[in-house]
Amino acid sequence: MSFQIGKLISLILQERFGIIIEKVGNFLFEYGSNPLLYIMRGTELPLGKVKEALCILIKYGLVTFKPNNNENIANYSLCIDNILLMTRYPKFLNLLKKKFGDESEMIIEELLQNSYLSTSDIIVKVAERLKCDVNDLPNVRDKFVSLVVAKYIQRLPTPNEEERPVPILEIKESVLFSLPKIDMKLLSQVYLKKIPKEELGETVFWIVNFDRFHQDMRDKYLVDAFTKKFDENVGEFVKLLLQQMYIRTDPWAETSNPVPLLEIKDIVRKKVIYPNLVTFFDQYVTVIEQDPSQIIRKSGEASGGSFQIQLKEAYNQIAWEIVEQVILEKFDSKAVRIFRLVKLKKFVEPDQIQQLAMIPSKEAKKLSYQLLEENFLKLQELKRPLANNGPIKSFTLFYIDLESIVRNLLELCYKTLYNAMTRKSHEKFINKRIIDKKQRVDAIAMGIQSQGATEEQLADIEDMITPPEREILGKIDRKMKKLNIEELEVDATIFLLQMYLKYQ
Amino acid sequence: MVDEHKLIELAKSKPDGISNDDIKSAIPDAKIEDIAAAINKFLKNGSFELYQDNGKLLYKYKDPSKKSTAKGSDSEEKIVFRIIEEAGNKGIWIRDIRFKSNLNMTQLNKVLKSLETKKYIKAVKSVSASKKKVYMLYDLEPDSSVTGGAWYQDQDFESEFVDVLSQQCLRFLTEKGEEAKMHGGGPLLARNKSYATANDVHKFISELGISKVRLSVSDIESILYTVVLDNNAERIASGEGFLYRSTNKFLSSVGLVKTTCGVCPIANRCADTGLINPKICEYLTDWLEEN
Repeated sequence: MSFQIGKLISLILQERFGIIIEKVGNFLFEYGSNPLLYIMRGTELPLGKVKEALCILIKYGLVTFKPNNNENIANYSLCIDNILLMTRYPKFLNLLKKKFGDESEMIIEELLQNSYLSTSDIIVKVAERLKCDVNDLPNVRDKFVSLVVAKYIQRLPTPNEEERPVPILEIKESVLFSLPKIDMKLLSQVYLKKIPKEELGETVFWIVNFDRFHQDMRDKYLVDAFTKKFDENVGEFVKLLLQQMYIRTDPWAETSNPVPLLEIKDIVRKKVIYPNLVTFFDQYVTVIEQDPSQIIRKSGEASGGSFQIQLKEAYNQIAWEIVEQVILEKFDSKAVRIFRLVKLKKFVEPDQIQQLAMIPSKEAKKLSYQLLEENFLKLQELKRPLANNGPIKSFTLFYIDLESIVRNLLELCYKTLYNAMTRKSHEKFINKRIIDKKQRVDAIAMGIQSQGATEEQLADIEDMITPPEREILGKIDRKMKKLNIEELEVDATIFLLQMYLKYQ
Repeated sequence: MVDEHKLIELAKSKPDGISNDDIKSAIPDAKIEDIAAAINKFLKNGSFELYQDNGKLLYKYKDPSKKSTAKGSDSEEKIVFRIIEEAGNKGIWIRDIRFKSNLNMTQLNKVLKSLETKKYIKAVKSVSASKKKVYMLYDLEPDSSVTGGAWYQDQDFESEFVDVLSQQCLRFLTEKGEEAKMHGGGPLLARNKSYATANDVHKFISELGISKVRLSVSDIESILYTVVLDNNAERIASGEGFLYRSTNKFLSSVGLVKTTCGVCPIANRCADTGLINPKICEYLTDWLEEN
């Protein structure tokens, strides 16, 4: 855990929950897991505020607690990963919207906003947002059920049976995704506000299962990568391969279990969209299998051949490409050439670099030592055991430690995120007057519009913002959009790098 | 009289030297005295050299034009000249000349300078060590180990030339790949068609005429290897040589490199306080201002 992550999460907490929670979060980040009174003393906040902050953090799964050695006291610790995930929420929603449509997206959105909800809460809230009829309630319920079945939503762990001062939250794996009975009759009564929802007496609450989303994202990036390298037909093949993988493999396994080719062929045949993949199916398979990347390998000849996909290897190669791209943008193509040469040769002497990469010796030296300075390359010195006389011969060899590079890049990603967020709040701060004015004007316009004002009156109100001000507002708007997009894109890089580390 | 012309022709035909017997069999009607007189004449003007091999006398032909260079020089110059001549087109380093000739430094420098001004020899800078000068005869073409081969011009590595060549090689491979794709007939066929050997690329580059220097196939191989290193092509072993094919990468540019911070040269020094901070960062400002 680095200093940079600390700064980033404190900013995220401040942006979303305010200063007090940020303070508690900072304390927990700095001092690790701590009991309540220590947090109070460290943050110098009143007890009530600390309690409230911890409640909120626990509710959103950002803080967990465990009994201390003295079982009457709980130790609180921060879940850093979950805080970082908050920047990824928009991506989750987008993913789901594309896959399952608007209703499903709303269900997840509600869950993300409220952290946990009961079955009826979810259905009623989404139905209210959609303004749908009572008869449409089963429709929303079906969407909800399908999300649970697909494991996007899981049950919230509950305190176990034993009475303890510090409850232990747990849930059996067997019931994690099991559905309770949903009484639609009562539910529609609640929806029509005829009875209070307490009458349902629900005990099951649901939270979002981030792991499932990460599987989806992992698959999506992989399919994109194959589409980019080959074409959309290969992309589709990989997609189907991954889909079939879930049937027989643990989702986070490094290598999938063998998937029979015939299965995929059957699915492809039923789909009409990829005629080329059907016609040249065997050819595509040969091409993919013989590709030097070796991500998809043949594992056996039985039943027309079966294939395995090497997920670890795939993300390994993706991580390499990311590093190469960063070097490309930072030092230009010659440096990448040197980097890839070292990658291919494992250990390289400086002289060899110049010869093989066809770069003038001076430039080659400069670039390789620049890469060394920025920790992309590492240096190993080999000294020959001393001969009796004569100069001591020593070799210097360049090599690469990918994992340390990836960790460095992750740091850089966090820094980038932090910088973008800081800049965003700074821009808001220096343009506060104008933004406030715009908000006031908008409020007034809304107000009089609801009172039935004429077009002219509305135009008058609009004119309160002068053209130069309007221009500035447009500029701020553009900047914010740009920074927001940057945040999302950097988060995608973070995800890819984290995937690499996860498979290590 | 002996036909002198015939004698020289005979000597020229046998670079290893001719013996008295050879002469006798080649020119049977000549008197021994005449031959001896002719050989003595040649030895005097330097066309012939006298060797002894297993107790047999051998005459070797020597180019009089080369020989003539040493004319009018003193014996030191002759010795030095011979040493340099022996080194051939690889040249010889001044220290080695000194050891071989046993001349002292000042004298040797003088001799070398005088030979150089007479344009008998020249000094060539070696690429392997920029300060090391080697001497060779004036009219010789330096060996590629001295000049560094096609990629060097006056000891400088011609990186631009290499860049242009590697771009052209990549263009050739990409075009070939696209052409194969256009042909249809399935992905496997397209892939197999997109492979090119170094010979193909060599032919293409020679026809383009961008290179003034004659490039060998192995030169092209090393250029193609840089294309592979740039991750724009893959190479597979096939038979004796390699096959090359342009490929795509897995990723289009990732988010991190699209941001200013991801490629910022001073990101390490960036902090909340101080002159380098995200609030006033000029790189960020420029990036935000552009549309």
